Amino acid sequence: MSQELTDRTIKKIEELASRYARKEAALLPVLHLVQNEVGFISPQEEKQVARLLDIKPIKVKEVVTFYTMYNQKAIGKYHIQVCSNLSCSLLGAESLIDHLKEKLGIGVGETTPDKKFTLTTVECLGACEQSPCMMINFDYFGNLDKEKIDDVLSKLK
Amino acid sequence: MMKIFIDERELDVAPGMTILKAAESVGIKIPHLCYHKAFLPEGTCRMCLVEIEGLPKLELACSTQVRDGMKISTKSERVIEARKGVLECLLAEHPIDCPICDKAGECKLQDYYDEYGLFESEFNEKKERREKKIEIGKNLIHDQERCILCRRCVRFLREITKTEELGVFQRGIHTEVSTYEGIPVDNNYSGNLAEICPVGAITDKDFRFKTRSWFLQSRESICPLCSRGCNIYIDSHTGFSRFSVPKRVYRIKTRENQMINGYWICDKGRYEYAYLDQERLEEIIVNDSLDSGSWPEITVFLAGELRRLFKMKRSSRIGLIIQSWLSNEELFLVDKIFRNDLNVEKIHFLDPPEEQADDFLLTSERSPNRRGAKELGFELQSADWDKFFADIELLLVFASPFWNDTANEPLKAALDKINTKVLLSSHVQEVNSAFDIVLPMSLIAERAGSLTNVVGSVQSFYPALDAPGDCKPAWKFLVELSRKIAMNNDFYGQFSSPESIRKVMNKEISFFREEQ
Amino acid sequence: MADKILTKHFGLENLFKIDVYMKNDGYSAVKKALSGMKPDEILEEVKAANLRGRGGAGFPAGVKWGFVPKDSEKSKYLCVNADEGEPGTFKDRYILNHNPHLLIEGIIIASYCVGINTAFIYIRGEYEAVALRLEDAISAAYENGYLGDDILGTGFKLDVYVHRGAGAYICGEETALLESLEGKRGNPRLKPPFPASVGLFDCPTVINNVETISNIPSIIINGADWFCKMGLPKDGGTRIFGVSGMVKNPGIFELPVGMSLKKIIVEHAGGMKEGKTLKAVIPGGMSAPILKADEIEINMDFDALVEAKSMLGSAAIIVIDQDTSMLDVLKVITKFYSHESCGQCTPCRIGNAWINKIVKRIAEGGGKREDLDKIIQLANNMMGKTLCPLGDAAAMPILSIIQKFRDELESYIPLGN
Repeated sequence: MSQELTDRTIKKIEELASRYARKEAALLPVLHLVQNEVGFISPQEEKQVARLLDIKPIKVKEVVTFYTMYNQKAIGKYHIQVCSNLSCSLLGAESLIDHLKEKLGIGVGETTPDKKFTLTTVECLGACEQSPCMMINFDYFGNLDKEKIDDVLSKLK
Repeated sequence: MMKIFIDERELDVAPGMTILKAAESVGIKIPHLCYHKAFLPEGTCRMCLVEIEGLPKLELACSTQVRDGMKISTKSERVIEARKGVLECLLAEHPIDCPICDKAGECKLQDYYDEYGLFESEFNEKKERREKKIEIGKNLIHDQERCILCRRCVRFLREITKTEELGVFQRGIHTEVSTYEGIPVDNNYSGNLAEICPVGAITDKDFRFKTRSWFLQSRESICPLCSRGCNIYIDSHTGFSRFSVPKRVYRIKTRENQMINGYWICDKGRYEYAYLDQERLEEIIVNDSLDSGSWPEITVFLAGELRRLFKMKRSSRIGLIIQSWLSNEELFLVDKIFRNDLNVEKIHFLDPPEEQADDFLLTSERSPNRRGAKELGFELQSADWDKFFADIELLLVFASPFWNDTANEPLKAALDKINTKVLLSSHVQEVNSAFDIVLPMSLIAERAGSLTNVVGSVQSFYPALDAPGDCKPAWKFLVELSRKIAMNNDFYGQFSSPESIRKVMNKEISFFREEQ
Repeated sequence: MADKILTKHFGLENLFKIDVYMKNDGYSAVKKALSGMKPDEILEEVKAANLRGRGGAGFPAGVKWGFVPKDSEKSKYLCVNADEGEPGTFKDRYILNHNPHLLIEGIIIASYCVGINTAFIYIRGEYEAVALRLEDAISAAYENGYLGDDILGTGFKLDVYVHRGAGAYICGEETALLESLEGKRGNPRLKPPFPASVGLFDCPTVINNVETISNIPSIIINGADWFCKMGLPKDGGTRIFGVSGMVKNPGIFELPVGMSLKKIIVEHAGGMKEGKTLKAVIPGGMSAPILKADEIEINMDFDALVEAKSMLGSAAIIVIDQDTSMLDVLKVITKFYSHESCGQCTPCRIGNAWINKIVKRIAEGGGKREDLDKIIQLANNMMGKTLCPLGDAAAMPILSIIQKFRDELESYIPLGN
């Protein structure tokens, strides 16, 4: 749910902005901060961030829609991002994606009805020595097989 | 100065010039889509790539500065291939809407395909689908499928109007230009967006489906709706031999003039052109029991009346109302004939009321020649009609197209007391019925002369449209009147055209002499 | 066993903590540089070391630093490129995770050399844990007087900040990185002007890869000669080669520049996985043209790979086996570049998407005879004609795969189409 940003977050935003010659340069780190708190960047967050950084809300949305890591809507509690790039594909990423689709009962880009898991494919995560790998929220899990995936998921509350 | 070669042609160019500018200065055309003279080059369309001897890659003409001795080819095989490549990509993901697209005939994709393309489509995939008829505000319709992402519209709203209603969202092939949260484009320069769009991605509702660009004649004129004097093109249709068309004027376009309006015109000047065609007064109306008049008859009659009153030393019984919709030449004639020759003192200079100016082109004065009137000694006065009209026997009014709004009840009531009331107007309006004689005048778009804008620039204008019916230019009427008044034939005998009037003005008045 | 520079102390526990780092000669290069050397001397040393950029382009670092106008009145900036988006590349993650202070030390020396007082580390958004560790290391450096207003009492002032990206491969390109750092969409800029004169906030800016900067401390301590001897005369030092794909021991291997590709795969990465035969190798990250199995007897240095019509790039080696279809490889590649195109310029935005659509169609059984030639034409449309190198980065691997595996790819196109 959209909400007003906490004072603590606003303070942190102002601190971040002070690092740069222009306030608006803090936009990407600020959006990470806001998404961490609210869960997504909706028009309400865009307007709040725009006000704090002295820019127009349209500029915030231009950035939000360019970068893949910003969500415009709420997603599941655990965002399962499976790498579908080369090294991971070579080592069977596709069958693991199929396994997850079957296990969770959703397609790529979808969220489970209980809002616990969202499944997406992403490009190279920079952990190719552990292919195939996935990132859940910001935690990396590598050297995956079906069993390991089941194990990781079972531990997520 | 540097020496460069473009397609083996030697040129002398100033340092700091781009290849594109240098080429255009000698009439060599290099195709370009994202580049626009009003903005810094972005180099994203890749259409203007040229070959420079000694450099391994093709380089952009829009942003590469010339160097001494540079040898440039705009026609080599590599260049032609690269151009075709860009065109092919654009057309692959472009909906070929030409039969229903208003931009047809003036579309850069069409023009460049015609000149540099002429290949068959080899795209066998599904085109990207997007929204096609989005009302983005004011008179604009946006088609995201046709958009080639040159981003001229976004740059315009960012750098010129600074309102930034449009932005670029998503990435890669999904990139799209759009408004934000439905907030519409809302500024006084929105119409320029449809003009600078190289394709039919942003089109004008006002022009939508009305006609085809190739049926239109595009003629130069000056916008008279404020005192900026923006240069414009009036695009009109002269109809077909077998059937007529519903409109005469279809649109106003901007005409570049770096001294006056840069590259732009405001929405008022662009869209409020209905007055050129609607409710036009095309014939002489005589409201009392006199026989219906003709120009010669009425001119003789008026000249007679004016001479009579002057000879009887009753010039104080002559009244004139003028507005600064008259050209410099016409105001000069009014000054000479009425103030100078006939000693008329009661010349009331009445203009439309001032309105809010914007911080760019639109001035608060809403008539085109206020400054010209000032330089010719006419000052604005407030209207005490009873005082003005007291004892007036003969009144001449040179009205603007919008004078009906200014002509209020007190004025109409005061008119009653006057014997002979003559109105020179361009439009059929309610107030016309209060006059004995109504003479049809042509508009600035239909005649020639010069106007002085708010900062004192004098600009000549020429007919962009034919005057309808019996309309006459005010300067012609005044010259004929002066000849019939016959008080100074040597002087008025010189005048056969606005240019000849201007020649004399330049001799007599230093302001106009300096503004040549 | 060749000398290690970057991974020398990787085995040590808690190397990322400043006290452990300092116990192992940590920050001694900073002390030597700031107290004993002039900026010009440092620049000459780095130039003489022939330290080439380790991000992908291989531009000599010393030469790049030398482009910054000395007499500019504007602030100068250093941006460390930790975006590490080139598929197959994961070496910088290791440096940042295991030895962040090595990077910080390099940043301090580089900044001192060029006259920079503010440095940003642009790190890809996915590396959140790594970014936090980096921030902790930076705080520790401040606490110990290696960053801040008066470093080691020399009067030199430097602030270092971590700036996280948010998922865009294009932001690894230096001008797109600057745009992203300025809070905008990652759209590459027209060059000229170059970042050395007009960079971050229109100020002179140096942009270097993590691994490049991390080599600076050892160059200062041991000298340029030593660095050149570690590698090749024109291409000094070591490279951290990252090997992944169908090998027994994927991982990072710090080896001298010029090491044989075959040796790296067979001796260091353990050779092919059980039951697998080598089919092809991508030698320098996905953008590098592919090498066939009979082309891997090659030395991994910039010039040798250029001669072989490939590139060293980020030294990310991806090993492909005979059981893998090259069509699948092509599919992954075209999907990647199509997804990562920023969308600014026509040939890349539409060309990559078009190629991707064709490849998908071939993979779904709808291939036509003219498809491969069309892809070649579209890729050539991009080569050298796009606003930034992503066009080339996409075109090169695609062209090389079609050229070297044409027969196989044609076998996926039904006869008679």
